[in-house]
Amino acid sequence: MMPPMSQSSDYIKTILLRLGSMSLAITLLTVLALASVIGTVLLQNQDQGDYLQQFGPIWYWVFRALGLFDMYHTWWFLSLLGFLMLSLTVCLYRNVPRFLKEMKSKKVPVSDSAIKHMEHVHHWQLPEQSLEKIISPIKDQLKEWTIRTEERNGITYLRADKGHYHKWGYIFVHSAMLVILIGGWISVHYGFRGNMQVPVGAKEHEISFLKGTSTESLVMPFYVRCNDFSIDFYPNGMPKEFKSNLTIIDGGKEVLTSDIIVNDPLYYKGIRIYQASFGDGGSNIRLKLMKLDGSGDVEIAKTKVYTTFKDDKTDITLEITDFRPHNVENMAEVHEPKDFQDLGASVDYVMRGPGLKPVKIRSFIDPFILNDENRGTFMSVSFSGNTKDFKPMALGLDMTNPKEWELFQRFIVRLGSADLKHPKKANLQAFKLAMADVFGANRPDNFQAMATRVIQAIQVIPRLPWPYIPILDNYDQKYYTGLQLARDPGMNVVWVGSGLLVFGLCIMLYISHRKLWVIIRREKDGVKVTLAGLSNRNPLNFKREFKEILTSFENDMQHLKQGENV
Amino acid sequence: MNAHVETNGIMSSLYQGRPAFVRYWAYIGLMLGAVGLALWGGDGYTENGYIFQLVGQDGFMWLGTGALLATGVSIAYSTMRPEATEGWIPKMMVSWFDGAALMVILMAVLTLFEPTSANVSYEDQSNLFAGHVIMTMNVLFIFSAVSYIAYLFAPDSFIGKLATWTAWAGVYAGGSALLLRWYESYLFMGGEIGHAPVSNIYEVFILLFCIVCIIYLQWERNYEAKAMGAFVMVLVASGVFFAIWLESVGQAEIKPLVPALQSYWMKIHVPMNFVGYGAFAVACGAGMAYLTRMWLEARNSKMVKVFPSLEQLDQLAYKSVAVGFPAFTLATILGAAWAAEAWGGYWSWDPKETWALIVWLVYGAYLHVRISHGWHGKTLAWWTVIGFLVTVFCFLGVNMYLAGLHSYGRLS
Ligand code: HEM
Repeated sequence: MMPPMSQSSDYIKTILLRLGSMSLAITLLTVLALASVIGTVLLQNQDQGDYLQQFGPIWYWVFRALGLFDMYHTWWFLSLLGFLMLSLTVCLYRNVPRFLKEMKSKKVPVSDSAIKHMEHVHHWQLPEQSLEKIISPIKDQLKEWTIRTEERNGITYLRADKGHYHKWGYIFVHSAMLVILIGGWISVHYGFRGNMQVPVGAKEHEISFLKGTSTESLVMPFYVRCNDFSIDFYPNGMPKEFKSNLTIIDGGKEVLTSDIIVNDPLYYKGIRIYQASFGDGGSNIRLKLMKLDGSGDVEIAKTKVYTTFKDDKTDITLEITDFRPHNVENMAEVHEPKDFQDLGASVDYVMRGPGLKPVKIRSFIDPFILNDENRGTFMSVSFSGNTKDFKPMALGLDMTNPKEWELFQRFIVRLGSADLKHPKKANLQAFKLAMADVFGANRPDNFQAMATRVIQAIQVIPRLPWPYIPILDNYDQKYYTGLQLARDPGMNVVWVGSGLLVFGLCIMLYISHRKLWVIIRREKDGVKVTLAGLSNRNPLNFKREFKEILTSFENDMQHLKQGENV
Repeated sequence: MNAHVETNGIMSSLYQGRPAFVRYWAYIGLMLGAVGLALWGGDGYTENGYIFQLVGQDGFMWLGTGALLATGVSIAYSTMRPEATEGWIPKMMVSWFDGAALMVILMAVLTLFEPTSANVSYEDQSNLFAGHVIMTMNVLFIFSAVSYIAYLFAPDSFIGKLATWTAWAGVYAGGSALLLRWYESYLFMGGEIGHAPVSNIYEVFILLFCIVCIIYLQWERNYEAKAMGAFVMVLVASGVFFAIWLESVGQAEIKPLVPALQSYWMKIHVPMNFVGYGAFAVACGAGMAYLTRMWLEARNSKMVKVFPSLEQLDQLAYKSVAVGFPAFTLATILGAAWAAEAWGGYWSWDPKETWALIVWLVYGAYLHVRISHGWHGKTLAWWTVIGFLVTVFCFLGVNMYLAGLHSYGRLS
């Protein structure tokens, strides 16, 4: 059965009332705030495998079903925003006509009972005088106010207003929110934003971006070629500026060549191209594989960053993940003067193989020099695969010196045939023999330092579970430039809304609608003047303002009392 | 109730009528000169060169011309229309401008204590003088906090005045120390890392203390709210201890800016944000004072007399939010504009952005709670306190616990 007409319009009225109500506004704002927290606590858009590992299968599926891994784009979060828009619309629809009418209202007289309820009221009793004489000084005092006068039932009412446009603040603020949300919606639906990585010398026309939990790509109407990329470093190793020289190739023609840096994008065909990041563009890498099978052989492996090197003999794979030409570190303690040292180039790789625990290694090309003393080649090792868990591991030997490696090998051989009853003496003996094996009669000058390193290496290297140690030997570096390309047709709408929002807030919060009434009443033996004031907000300031007005009136009234001209 | 600036004759005449009016316009002229220099002068605005132009001959010319012109015009105008000098804006603004000018002068004096640039290096910044000024500020603020608490117990004694004075002194120490750090950042590495002192958490903390104090002291001066100072200054003092800790773990050093931060946006976005944070801190102080007063009333304590009325405290909390909310809104928008320029999107749901939104929603809800019927007084006071906890998480917690684009503030 259809409900009767009047009843259904009642329903609509109730719904509108609810949708536009203040308590709904408060609830919505609070709920949005709470919901937003989730997405900041839970890292968004990470690798699904990581999530699975972090939360376990049950919670992983619960969170996934709720879309918490890409929370700000889920239907329920977007519905919350949509609901906010609906609520704003309804509340504007309900209030704007009322407020406009209120602002236009020209009602001058005021009832006695209304006056009685006002906090700020003052009366003066004056001797008989002309209306003009009373009103003109009042008007002088209230120069900055909008004044209207009216006479009713023999009583003269004067009403002064300040900030009567205050309600515009409300209208601006709430419509601004709508405008911003609409702008955001336009951005999401008609704009795009994605990244492209262009190795130096290459060109690219596809950007990729995350949509939900998967990566998608989009083809741009032009190619971007990276001609050159350069970085300036600060002495502490931080990048100071990075710069790409780009050429836009549109329809096979080179149309534009320009440098871009961070904070200074390039604009072409409605698309902005930002310098966002940089990284390795597939540098050529040469590794020395130092065999640990006792042969002392050194094999050379030529590979590239982002490729996997496979060695058929041992079934070991080396996945090269990154290369860095510099590694600047502060070698000083906190509060000591800084001591920046460039540890030189490094390569990151993951080593996997039969019976081996996968391990992530950062191998440095140079030996570690501390206080002018060569401490040998070192690497950073992480068993979790995370670069945060890198632990330094000193190999002891300086692998840049092939003689030292040879010495180490001979030392092991000589130790094997040494007399085990006197270990100290045997060590020394073995080392002497090894020295003679390698250098013959002419020992190098620095053989003592070498001895220290070899002794140290003997504690470390034989314990390594790997068939060989891959060490960075040489490289030919190449960068890629990380660009972000975006088109955002909603952006200007958002700026308009933002301006309106701030402007409206200033009106709303700093301007109050203040009203004053002066009531001039003729009585038997004179004139009674009443001053009353009302403000819709900021009572503290109004109290002071009213007091100032009162003082200035007081002066005039005293004159009038004494019958002087003002 | 109006404990207005009732100082002696010469002082007060400086702050009204023509002297205030002309000075106000002179300052405006100075600023317009600076804008003119950026737009048309010398080599135009460049991120690193402008500051040198400003203190060099070009700056002298542009700023001087601006100030002189504005002085002349305002003298002429105020002669023609004497009533023009009655407006409240010049009177109010001129004391702010004077304060800022005083800070610059203080900083210039402090540079005399600076070692020559041969004696400082990026690697060893221990000779720099700003650290001493900041230490002075720390002592002043802590002393002030203690004095404000003592004032609650001895409202008639001298200690209340001392509390206010030391808080002001702390503001000047902090403000000039920040300016001095700006100067210092140009002293080494050939000046190539010079930048405004709003680039790391240590520097913005000092800025925050000053802003909180300035807002609070303004309320104290205009609305007799001294008891609130105990709460506000305790917040500041806790911040001071945190900053001392930051210093002790090596976070106080002047460091170069990563490319994304080398932008004039940083200089407006960050301070604006901290006007918001600072105002919310003052609101929290008012809220705590409100709750304390309620508690004291329930126990019939005599100390209640020292406190402003509940209504007044409630109003002061509201006034603080009314300062903070638009400032914070504007700051967030400026941040969005910067992000749009640096990263290509005005909003990325990065944790810092999202927390800024959360803070904003919390105070937006506060403003609505105020005018909706039902909840009042105590609820609102708690709202300001909890709101401030959310704010603290936004500017500290996010940097400490959550990753994101705003990693410059990361504690390492
Ligand atoms: C996120 C969006 C919103 C913002 C930023 C916002 C902001 C404000 C501000 C600052 C005030 C003034 C408070 C004061 O006078 O101190 C206000 C008042 C008000 N708001 Fe909102 N508001 C929002 C959403 C809403 C929604 C969704 C509704 C309705 C459901 C609403 C209804 C009202 C009403 C009725 C007033 C009172 C106007 C008056 O009588 O002066 N607001 N709002």
